[in-house]
Amino acid sequence: MNPQNKISQSQKLMVFVLSMSLYGLATLFTELIPSFQVGIVEFSVEYFLFIPLTLAMLFDPLSAGLGAATGELVFSEIMLGQFGGLGELEKFLTVTIGVYVAGRLVKNPRNRAAVAGASIFGVFLQLFMGTVVDILKVQFAVEDFEAVAGLPESVFATEGFACLNDLLFSGILFCMLPTMFLVPKLYGKIEPLLGMKPRDEKTMTGSALSAKSIVLCLVGFAVAIVAQLLAKGGYALIDWEAAWAESTTAIIIAIVVAAVVALIVFGVIRSRAKNRQTA
Amino acid sequence: MRKLSENILDKFSMDFLRNQVLKNAYGNDDTVIAKMDPRILLVWYLFFGLVPWFLNDVVLLLGIFLFVALTTRAAKVAPLVLFLFCIGVFSQTGYLFIVALFFGGNTETIAPLLVMTLKVAAVSLASITVFSGLDPDRLANGLLWFGCPGQLSFSISFAYRILPVLMEEFQNILLSYRLRGNPPHRNGLIGKIRYLCYQVKMIIQSFYPLMLNTAKRSRTTVEALELRGYRYSIQNPEVKKMKLSMLKVTQADIIFVCISAAWVCVCVGLSVVL
Amino acid sequence: MSIIEIKNLTFTYPGASEPTLKNASAVIEKGDFLAIVGNNGCGKSTLCKTLNGLIPHFIVGDMDGDVIIDGLNTKEQEIGTLARKVGYVYQDFENQIVCPTVLEDASYACLNYAMPDYEEKGKKALHVCGLSSKIGDYVWQLSGGQKHLLALAGTAALSPDILILDEPIAQLDPAHADGIYEVLKELNEKYGKTIIVIEHHTDYIVKYCKDVMLLKDGGVQWVLPAKEAMRRTDELQGCNIFPPQVAIAAERMIDAGLLPKEPFLQKEEELPVDVAEGVRVFTPYLKNKGPAYKQPLKRELKREPIVDFKNVTVKYRAVKGEPPKIFDDFSIQIGKGEKIALIGSNGAGKSTMLKMMMGLIRPESGQVLLNDRPTADLPKEELGRTISMVYQNPEEMFIKDSIRKDIEYAMMVRKVEDYQKRTDELLEMFRLTDLQDRDGRLLSGGQMRRASLAIGIALQPEILLLDEPTANLDIATRREIMKTLQMLKGITDTVVIATHDMQLVCDWAERLIVLSAGYVIADGTKEEIFADMYVRQQVGIRPPQICDMGRALGIENPCFTIDEFMEYFRGEKYA
Repeated sequence: MNPQNKISQSQKLMVFVLSMSLYGLATLFTELIPSFQVGIVEFSVEYFLFIPLTLAMLFDPLSAGLGAATGELVFSEIMLGQFGGLGELEKFLTVTIGVYVAGRLVKNPRNRAAVAGASIFGVFLQLFMGTVVDILKVQFAVEDFEAVAGLPESVFATEGFACLNDLLFSGILFCMLPTMFLVPKLYGKIEPLLGMKPRDEKTMTGSALSAKSIVLCLVGFAVAIVAQLLAKGGYALIDWEAAWAESTTAIIIAIVVAAVVALIVFGVIRSRAKNRQTA
Repeated sequence: MRKLSENILDKFSMDFLRNQVLKNAYGNDDTVIAKMDPRILLVWYLFFGLVPWFLNDVVLLLGIFLFVALTTRAAKVAPLVLFLFCIGVFSQTGYLFIVALFFGGNTETIAPLLVMTLKVAAVSLASITVFSGLDPDRLANGLLWFGCPGQLSFSISFAYRILPVLMEEFQNILLSYRLRGNPPHRNGLIGKIRYLCYQVKMIIQSFYPLMLNTAKRSRTTVEALELRGYRYSIQNPEVKKMKLSMLKVTQADIIFVCISAAWVCVCVGLSVVL
Repeated sequence: MSIIEIKNLTFTYPGASEPTLKNASAVIEKGDFLAIVGNNGCGKSTLCKTLNGLIPHFIVGDMDGDVIIDGLNTKEQEIGTLARKVGYVYQDFENQIVCPTVLEDASYACLNYAMPDYEEKGKKALHVCGLSSKIGDYVWQLSGGQKHLLALAGTAALSPDILILDEPIAQLDPAHADGIYEVLKELNEKYGKTIIVIEHHTDYIVKYCKDVMLLKDGGVQWVLPAKEAMRRTDELQGCNIFPPQVAIAAERMIDAGLLPKEPFLQKEEELPVDVAEGVRVFTPYLKNKGPAYKQPLKRELKREPIVDFKNVTVKYRAVKGEPPKIFDDFSIQIGKGEKIALIGSNGAGKSTMLKMMMGLIRPESGQVLLNDRPTADLPKEELGRTISMVYQNPEEMFIKDSIRKDIEYAMMVRKVEDYQKRTDELLEMFRLTDLQDRDGRLLSGGQMRRASLAIGIALQPEILLLDEPTANLDIATRREIMKTLQMLKGITDTVVIATHDMQLVCDWAERLIVLSAGYVIADGTKEEIFADMYVRQQVGIRPPQICDMGRALGIENPCFTIDEFMEYFRGEKYA
């Protein structure tokens, strides 16, 4: 391991810790502050995404993105018990990708136009991925999606509207403007506090967006969709099963199977624990 | 009227939020749930967080809902978290319900939505029980046992350490703004909106000093982590083994699993009879 | 046997034009208890970071020369190997603690280095540091002093041969400071550790340290036995270090002819540095023990109250169990124009009292009146005009990106006329004009304090509250703060300072309020308070060394300054 590499490792850790604590704190509050609705327009202070966006443009984008996603997961989901199971993976990945891409797009943090463009694009990317997943989710989740009167239209309308609304309201007010305000202000000030050199053309590694990173983002998005669908896929499964079992017996069998699976896992734990004791 | 609204605002102050979060994070480490083996609880969560999605029987769902409500009570979760839970359940299914009506739905839409509400509620409560009720350290170790990366378990542990510090700092910075600032009057609707905008702007601006101060902190933290061998622990599988050796399944865990199983069986029985 | 060898060490931080360390060389023996002294920014912390390998492994920069720890060159070792030999406790120790509970944090490093008995090691270290009773607690439940001990325990658990502490007692009251040093002494004597402290409290250096290293402009000036080092008063003062008051008193008395020149020709050998030596030196020349001059014992009581605490009861929102009471039926008045020092050990309720005056904490019952109006009902913005508070941590006062903007902010949003002119005046007054466009956080400790004071008085408040204004500062900066306090005359008359700094109290305060566990246990002038041994023991306050010196010599009235002390050596000796 050469020393140069090690240093960048610890600097990445610093950015990760910074992004995690700050974005975690912010999401904790947004989770606590209820949003208010005017008709179907939801005004929520949902996005403090400007924090990781700012950090991603000033430092290593990937660490900032991962840190933000971890921060949200740990502070607002786990600490407040709002953990949604596998479905959280979707948010984790979309936030990471959105922040990462936005961070990579900015070459000169002092260029306000570039900062603004990149931040709004990052938000859009994150929202768009979220919306696609949401629509797919409801489509799979509600039995006879097409049969329920008004449901498909309403889902498309609300999700599409929510996306646009978030983009225009949260996106511009809470992401683009603060990022534009913060990045040039912090540039050159925050780096010495972390013992780093300000980011410039030389310290930027690689091109803005390589094909490899785009492919990686796409793969991440695919994983996000699959995770979300798996998480909420219960409906689809039961629908499908309903063809051969319409009685409660099927449910009982399902519960017994689930209990047995749980017990098996339990048994495995026991035996592994015993092995460790004897070993 | 003005007094009342001020009273509510006062209750909902930063200090209150901070206290509720701390209460939820640290205040319930002596409950039955907190002392359980995290692996058992995570498996338990796997069952109660997944099975309800597969059920459509109202009686059965109600039974499971009652049970997880009881465990949530046993975990002594902070009231604010429960309040959030209620809001969350409403916003997840409630709004769909209203919109469906708006687009010409009928009572038939209500039945599946009621079932859906029960499902969401049961699953959320199960998650609140496990993730709010468990000790942070034990939760981190439990996740580690199930193969989550060491970074995540470090993040959880570190988050619980840094949260009170960050909150205090944030509170102080906001205070600087409040004492030195001069917010607009909140008379009338326009005044209220202007006041709200001012508040939001203030919160966003306060992240500028917070970012710089936290940057200063995290440098020391990362240096200290380096000195205290954090990087070695990530690379060394021996460390993971040592961390996990403290996990032990006790009698209380077995009793808890048995009660859960018995309850579910009774519920299934009831749903068949009814 | 030498355990540390520093050979011709030069280090330049990346981007800096001047090297921070210049050709520094020194040898430190095994089992030493060494204090490193020097003015702010002379490279003390940098030197210590070269010892544990953070430089050059973590902080890049140009390093020439070698550091040999126990026969190993730091350049060739892994940081992990060095960390097990050299432990380091940061000045901002709070950020060094990374785990939520006490035992976890103490054993964290041992666990990471895969020591099978990590928990035992953590417990043992906690025991040595006197935290045995706190094993199961969360870190945030600890007081500042306990956190510092925990940071020490977490470092000591690895049982390194060398322990380095950066300003270990800067923010502590005397009782807690003693606690830390007693632990270090035990580690040094019983466990044979080499201890290195960066310290500017010379009382503690004399009492606990064996040797002293003076750093000047990045080079090692000398390493001398502690007492000998403390006698070099000129050199110390040249580096902004305050020698023991007893030594200064003796020196000034020689100059004034109150002590004969003859036995003190070799100052390095003869100047007294602690009370015991002082008794030996001063006793033959003491002229009288009676009152040198009558001191006004009672302050005039009738003053128009500006803040009035009326039967206040305060509870904190508890995380678990019953909410603890901070104050119970607490009443006190603060008069217009008073200079009040609020003293008491950490956690006695000083900050709570300040916050109540600001209307930040609402009492459960009772009222806090500010100019006859309850603070709780006043809007914050209006309150800001009458009363102003400067936090203990100046960084939290800086909300804008330059000092100028910070100072003018409050005036600007209140549309004060000529606010720019007034800002200029304030900048001038606090000598910040050249720094006005810099960000407050990037300034030195003293500049930061000055800036925070300027922000505090920008609105010309009637009352100014200061929370620990001199913590973490070297002597020169403390003097500057004192000067600044004098400058407040005419702008802000009523000042309340919460502090552990007894020298500040003696030089400045007119009235002392002593808090202990939420009760006022004493309220009066410094003469009354320091004469009361019960109070002194109860809250662990300690008057300046010169006061103890006077007492040891049997002088009746307490003396708070060297000038007062010298009075007893003038005139005729009477029987």
